[in-house]
Amino acid sequence: METFVIGLSIASILFMVALGLAIIYGTMKVINLAHGEMVMIGAYVTVLATKHLGFNLYLCLPLAFLVTAGFGLVIERTVVRRLYGRLLDTLLATWGIALILQQLIRIHFGLGLFGIHIDGLGSDLQNVPVPGELQQTLHFLGANIPVYRAFIFVVALLLGAVTWWLIYRTRFGSQLRAVSVARNTAAACGVNDKRVNMLAFAYGSGLAGIAGVLVSGFKTVSPDMGTPYVVDAFLVVVAGGVGHLAGTFLSAGILGEVQSFVAMWLNDVYGRTVLFAVVILILLFKPQGLFVSRSR
Amino acid sequence: MDERMKHRTATIAAYLLFFAVIFALPFFLNSFWTNRVATYLVYSICAVGISLSWGYAGILSLGQGLFFGIGAYMLAMSLTLAVPENNPVPELMLLNMQPDAVRDLCCVTPGSFLWIPFRSVAFGMIAAIVVPCVLAAGLGYVMFKRRTTGVYVSIITLAFALIGQLLIINNQPLTGGFNGLANLAWLEIGGFEFDPYGPSIYYLVAGTLLAVVLVSRAMLSARIGQVLKAVREDEARARYLGYDVENYKLFIFCFSAGIAGLAGMLFTLTAEFASPSLMATSFSISMVIWAATGGRASLLGACIGALLVNFVGSVASESPAFQPVWPIVLGGLFVFVVLVMPNGIAGIVKDLIGRSGKARAVGQEVYP
Repeated sequence: METFVIGLSIASILFMVALGLAIIYGTMKVINLAHGEMVMIGAYVTVLATKHLGFNLYLCLPLAFLVTAGFGLVIERTVVRRLYGRLLDTLLATWGIALILQQLIRIHFGLGLFGIHIDGLGSDLQNVPVPGELQQTLHFLGANIPVYRAFIFVVALLLGAVTWWLIYRTRFGSQLRAVSVARNTAAACGVNDKRVNMLAFAYGSGLAGIAGVLVSGFKTVSPDMGTPYVVDAFLVVVAGGVGHLAGTFLSAGILGEVQSFVAMWLNDVYGRTVLFAVVILILLFKPQGLFVSRSR
Repeated sequence: MDERMKHRTATIAAYLLFFAVIFALPFFLNSFWTNRVATYLVYSICAVGISLSWGYAGILSLGQGLFFGIGAYMLAMSLTLAVPENNPVPELMLLNMQPDAVRDLCCVTPGSFLWIPFRSVAFGMIAAIVVPCVLAAGLGYVMFKRRTTGVYVSIITLAFALIGQLLIINNQPLTGGFNGLANLAWLEIGGFEFDPYGPSIYYLVAGTLLAVVLVSRAMLSARIGQVLKAVREDEARARYLGYDVENYKLFIFCFSAGIAGLAGMLFTLTAEFASPSLMATSFSISMVIWAATGGRASLLGACIGALLVNFVGSVASESPAFQPVWPIVLGGLFVFVVLVMPNGIAGIVKDLIGRSGKARAVGQEVYP
């Protein structure tokens, strides 16, 4: 039961990161290798805001969303926009951005070079205080469930619901779907596809930022913490089928649980190995992913 | 002399000049720099492999580091056993064995029997090329037969390398774990010892680079090279024309993995260690950027790119003031190369030659 809940929280984090990646990939066919860095920045926003502004974890959620969405916006406008249609090149360029962002944190945004050090930055590991009510454990069906893990799950569900509403019930959402199915046709019908791209990129990055806040509550924060998330999240997207919200949701659930159970049974490394093997198997038998969107 | 002939002459001249410089260099370098440049040439070999699969066939593998690392480990295992103190059982296994285990390679730690064939250095050298090829064949078969293309290939290879690295770190009693294999003997062939800081290793590496480049050029000018370019430009059309696209892709993927393994093996000789850091994602992606900087669709460009980026990088890391900024410069280089000079140094040079001949601006064609 505990393993199940831990798996659920891993799955929730994966879901939030993957959702952002899926929106970005689905809309503009771009893989953002700096997506993991958005998680990292979200975590650092939490570190800095709790240290210097006296924020608690809840307040950090919207703040991190705004900050990472801002980063996403800038990345899209300056680099990614110039590379549409050159998929493999975006991989390299966004990896370059990831390198830069990591190093900027390590050297205190460059101030470290002049001997100015900001508490909470640098290459050391950081920890974030978690509010007292989230540190408790619940006794449920004879099992001890950490409240924090459950909290992560609830936030992920909420975000999933908000995203669903955004994509399927708003004007922006229908434009987004139109652009991801047939960009030129949508543009010809008067949809400003560049604006859609920009907002989708920012929103996807923002989701990763929120995941970063949540991760910071149970993992130490460091400049290179983000990289594993991109790969895992992309595997989730691929396994779930691109362009399908429910697919991403379910595949995050499945992969998160698989990883959690194998990790408990053997160790973390085998957890990830099995995760990868499962994705390969899924790709072998269902190359389009578990849940194929019927629109194409 | 028509355009084509002129281009051909220029290319041959460039190759001749490059290798003349490379082969003359040791006469002007001290032993430290001979070793450094030899290591950069190892990276050049790697970049040639990437240029073949990415620049010519459009397969961007982000897991070359795994093949490189495996190549390094295979020879490193042999060279570990060649150290007298590591007989009959390497020290790293003695540290990790059960107290009552038999002190023999067959069963000192679980899986240690896998080391037995590595008593022969020749086996290690062959395995360094064959094992990456076989792994790439397995992975490539799964990917290409399922018609996985583009970024999917990149991410799957990346994840594959990540898992490989984790497994190696995790199996410390067998692989030396995080520290890898460091206490290595020198390579000895027929009584001749290769000193990592001497010119012998340098010429071994430079000669290998020359051979790899020659074989690759020959392959590219043969039919297979043309088919691969066709696949890169339009995979579906190549398939409709009756070419067995999957097998061509599989071949070049394995070939490139074999080159990476070969480079990894030479790396063990120049750097005298093998560690999981060679399989890190960042290292795999760095290799791609070397090739991109020099020119992805140019073997010579890739060689030069690898030399240049690594030379500047290591000079930068020497200076304490510049060292923290280097990753940012490197990251900036990724973005810059992709945005501004997608065909790298080779592309720029090609443009210059084209312009000087006729007043015809050669449009920069971007390869995928």
